[in-house]
Amino acid sequence: MSKKTFTVGWLYPDLMNIYGDRGNILTLLKRAEWRDYDARLIELGRGTTRGMEDVDVFFFGGGQDREQALVYEDLLESKQPPLERAVAGGAAVLAVCGGYQLLGHYYQTADGDRFPGIGLIDVRTEGGKRRFIGDVVVDTDLADLHPQTLVGFENHSGRTYLGPKARPLGRVRMGFGNNGEDHTEGCLQGAILGTYLHGSLLPKNPHLADHLIRSALERRGVKDLAPLDDAAEIAAHQQILARAQR
Amino acid sequence: MRRTAAVWAGKATGALSRISRLGGGTTLPGDVARAIDPDVLRKLSRDLKHGAIVITGTNGKTTTSRLISWVLEGAGYSVVSNRAGANLIFGATAAALERAGANGKLKADWGVFEIDEASLGRAVDEIQPRATIVLNLFRDQLDRYGELEMIAKKIEAALKRMPDNSRAVLNADDPRVAEIGMNLEQPPLWFGLDDPSVAMSELPHAADARTCPRCGASLVFDAVYVGHDGVYRCPNGDFARPAPDLAATHIDLKGFESLAMGVSGVRIELPLGGLYNCYNALAAFAAADTLGLDPAFIADRFRTFRAAFGRQERLEAQGRVLNLVLSKNPAGFNETLRTAVDLAGGQNFLIGLNDKKADGTDVSWIWDVDFERLRGRAHVVVPAGTRAHDLAVRFKYAGVQAAPPEPDPARALDALIEATPEGETAHLLCTYTAMLDLRAELVRRGWAKPYWET
Ligand SMILES: [Zn+2]
Repeated sequence: MSKKTFTVGWLYPDLMNIYGDRGNILTLLKRAEWRDYDARLIELGRGTTRGMEDVDVFFFGGGQDREQALVYEDLLESKQPPLERAVAGGAAVLAVCGGYQLLGHYYQTADGDRFPGIGLIDVRTEGGKRRFIGDVVVDTDLADLHPQTLVGFENHSGRTYLGPKARPLGRVRMGFGNNGEDHTEGCLQGAILGTYLHGSLLPKNPHLADHLIRSALERRGVKDLAPLDDAAEIAAHQQILARAQR
Repeated sequence: MRRTAAVWAGKATGALSRISRLGGGTTLPGDVARAIDPDVLRKLSRDLKHGAIVITGTNGKTTTSRLISWVLEGAGYSVVSNRAGANLIFGATAAALERAGANGKLKADWGVFEIDEASLGRAVDEIQPRATIVLNLFRDQLDRYGELEMIAKKIEAALKRMPDNSRAVLNADDPRVAEIGMNLEQPPLWFGLDDPSVAMSELPHAADARTCPRCGASLVFDAVYVGHDGVYRCPNGDFARPAPDLAATHIDLKGFESLAMGVSGVRIELPLGGLYNCYNALAAFAAADTLGLDPAFIADRFRTFRAAFGRQERLEAQGRVLNLVLSKNPAGFNETLRTAVDLAGGQNFLIGLNDKKADGTDVSWIWDVDFERLRGRAHVVVPAGTRAHDLAVRFKYAGVQAAPPEPDPARALDALIEATPEGETAHLLCTYTAMLDLRAELVRRGWAKPYWET
């Protein structure tokens, strides 16, 4: 019997990869590989949609303004329909920072200019003056996460606000989160997860990586993933947690 | 009057902080003097007999400025320069102060100042340099400096304000630096590498600035040398690497020991290793060349050069050789790793990662470093520094067998020495303050000199 496949689709790997996003990709791939999946990576740069229907987890990272402007047209014109189809079919999405903002309804600059996103999640973002930079610790109520904390690093000036269809990923114990006002961080809507946490996010939050893998594989009848030894990952997780207790 | 007071106050602060071992007194005197007279650097710079050279860029500032000073000093000039990585405007001020006389006047022929990318505008306005070198623009400490694009725009604005008689000396191989140079009224002096035998076949993961500034298309690379620096062109034909005025050819690299290359018919040999140092040497050569120094003389001086503290330092320790190399961002780390593993055949490693302000508090960039290079080839890898645990995770996902993470510098050093066979070399690749911590421990053990004595 041939191995089961697990496929990660990286949206714009050359342009939207500013905050060590490769860590998120490697974590998804390795954790599937260690469970004996044939883990594959599909790079989805500008001008290609090839293989999008096979993707289990999409990753969409942050970029600089100049690069973000370059992916904008391609995202709206070519990637949006296949991405919507994949999500409807049960694929999971992890969107960080700029990617998170682009999946929402719009980004409005301080001058009032509005750039529409693809509206896959019920969030909107407004530009802010002050940049939110630093370590973040989040308490989450996701039932399948143990421990129920997430750690990362944020660096953004956008303020994201959630609509009724999206629920927050958690509440910040340390750091600013979505907007620095309502103490929420990130969003969950179906199998789409948006967040400002990088750092990279998944290497120090292996339980969240598994949550994504599991929710994508659910459609193929997978209920549980074999446990892995996460001592190294959790030690790094604990180190950031300890900073919130100081 | 005010300037004399500023000079004296600054000097007193410098002496005090050296005595109290605050760390060599490298920038604090500058802070004090600038508080008393904000124009103190402008005034001191005017005293320079021949003028000043300013060096900026993400990587290589210290080595390049030391090379230029070394050449100028060899030609009999007195040189003022900021040392020990104090490359903010305060460090340049402090350096000028240290050399100012009792009358508050600076007695020196040349100023050679390394300036961080974000302060270049102020430095150009105050120092009015004869030449400004831009080495490269890599992603570095996003939490402190912000995005690359913003830095690039600042550098361009600074270069546009340079005095008429001055020259921009720019790296043609860096797409973002080249874009800056093409927007200048006065043509810059371009330098670059031309030797496919030392090129990589593809861009490393840490590469950025890979799109055409005119049409947004992804750039095509015919050669990649360091990070995203290489020979590139837009597939639509509206942007390409400028032809270098000074090109390095026939490059020969010997581990961390030495490099050799041909430039304008002169053979250059330098007792520093790594392809990244070819860029530093070439930039220094180009600067000295624009100042009218004889190429054969420059090459002669290069042969006897010594690296700056912690940039590349070799020490004896209990029968092992310790090779200390500062590695502070993805592009820099990839290069020191490539040199250590591929060129020097290194097997014993300590990798030090700190997240203090001077290192950058965001450590996500370690995921863009190709630590996979160590897989199956390193005999020992000790994860060290305040973020040793993050490194341990990084190594795990790179498939690299590593020792347990060791945030304590003394214990990390012990682990490295114990695992390194006698007679072998261990490579210690560290971020800035991780290097300081480790070096302090080496000094405590009597294996290294304090850096203000080197
Ligand atoms: Zn073009």
